[in-house]
Amino acid sequence: MNASASHLREQFDDPVQQREASTLGMWAFLTTEILFFGVLFAGYAFCRVMFPEAFAEASRHTDMLLGTLETAVLLTSSCAAALAVREVQLGGRRVATWLLLATAALGIAFLVMHGFEYVAEYHEGLIPGIRYTRHGPHAASMQLFFCLYYFITGFHGLHVSIGVGLLLAMAWRTHRGAFDQDYHTPLELTALYWHLVDIVWIFVYPLIYLIGRAP
Amino acid sequence: MNARSTSRQARTHRSGPAPPSLRSNLLVLAALLVLLALSAGSALIPMGAFNEVANLGIAAMKALLVLVFFMRLKTDSPLLRLVAATGFAWLALLVALSLADLLSRQMLLPPW
Repeated sequence: MNASASHLREQFDDPVQQREASTLGMWAFLTTEILFFGVLFAGYAFCRVMFPEAFAEASRHTDMLLGTLETAVLLTSSCAAALAVREVQLGGRRVATWLLLATAALGIAFLVMHGFEYVAEYHEGLIPGIRYTRHGPHAASMQLFFCLYYFITGFHGLHVSIGVGLLLAMAWRTHRGAFDQDYHTPLELTALYWHLVDIVWIFVYPLIYLIGRAP
Repeated sequence: MNARSTSRQARTHRSGPAPPSLRSNLLVLAALLVLLALSAGSALIPMGAFNEVANLGIAAMKALLVLVFFMRLKTDSPLLRLVAATGFAWLALLVALSLADLLSRQMLLPPW
């Protein structure tokens, strides 16, 4: 009995139908995630149109170098996740396990780098309500930018942490031989989730780090 | 059991989307990193409103690459493309209608 037959639930005709149902369900969940972050981005758009100078000034206080590095790390981790699914489809269990561990490690690297950003921002006094020491004409409206920044990156960081947990679980199951060419849906769905978290960051990067940079 | 389900019994995941080539995945990663460099570089050049166009345009291209190749929307079922497009369409509506409200209305003073 191969892995696929033992995983077939009785409500499905065959593994293909089961896989289609699972991926469709995952995509339905991912669209709710798009809208979850979408609300924050819509709030960002609203506030930015109201206070363009304050947003440009506030954005210049973020760390562009770290932000760019973090983006590169997440993009690379996404590729590693895609390659892990591909390896399992081709029957390469060992390489897939290592690729999943690498993906999780890159996710952790991202979280650590972002942690350093938060610490630096605390010392610079950029956290409204906790430690905010900005003065000047835009100081009040810049708080809007920083509130959105902490909500967006905070929720994104939460998603990255969940993703790292899922990836480690998938690495363990791949190592134990739970997936093969015929059955690897949980792995595929975890990769889809990870890619979506990556897409969210792809939009966070220019909106948070890159505005008001040109002299 | 009807004939349809017995004839489909042999179908497994292997009949889902075929695994992409290693080359294509690495090329997508290279393209993503080049776009990231372009995005960072263009942000430092003063172009006025076109800075924002470049920022968001490049981000959209990167997201599309991830959706089409890493998330396999290109080879997987058309239904998934529809669901994914719906998610982004609702988001576009949300942002467009919020901004339309903000940009097209006058602030009214309270009558007292």
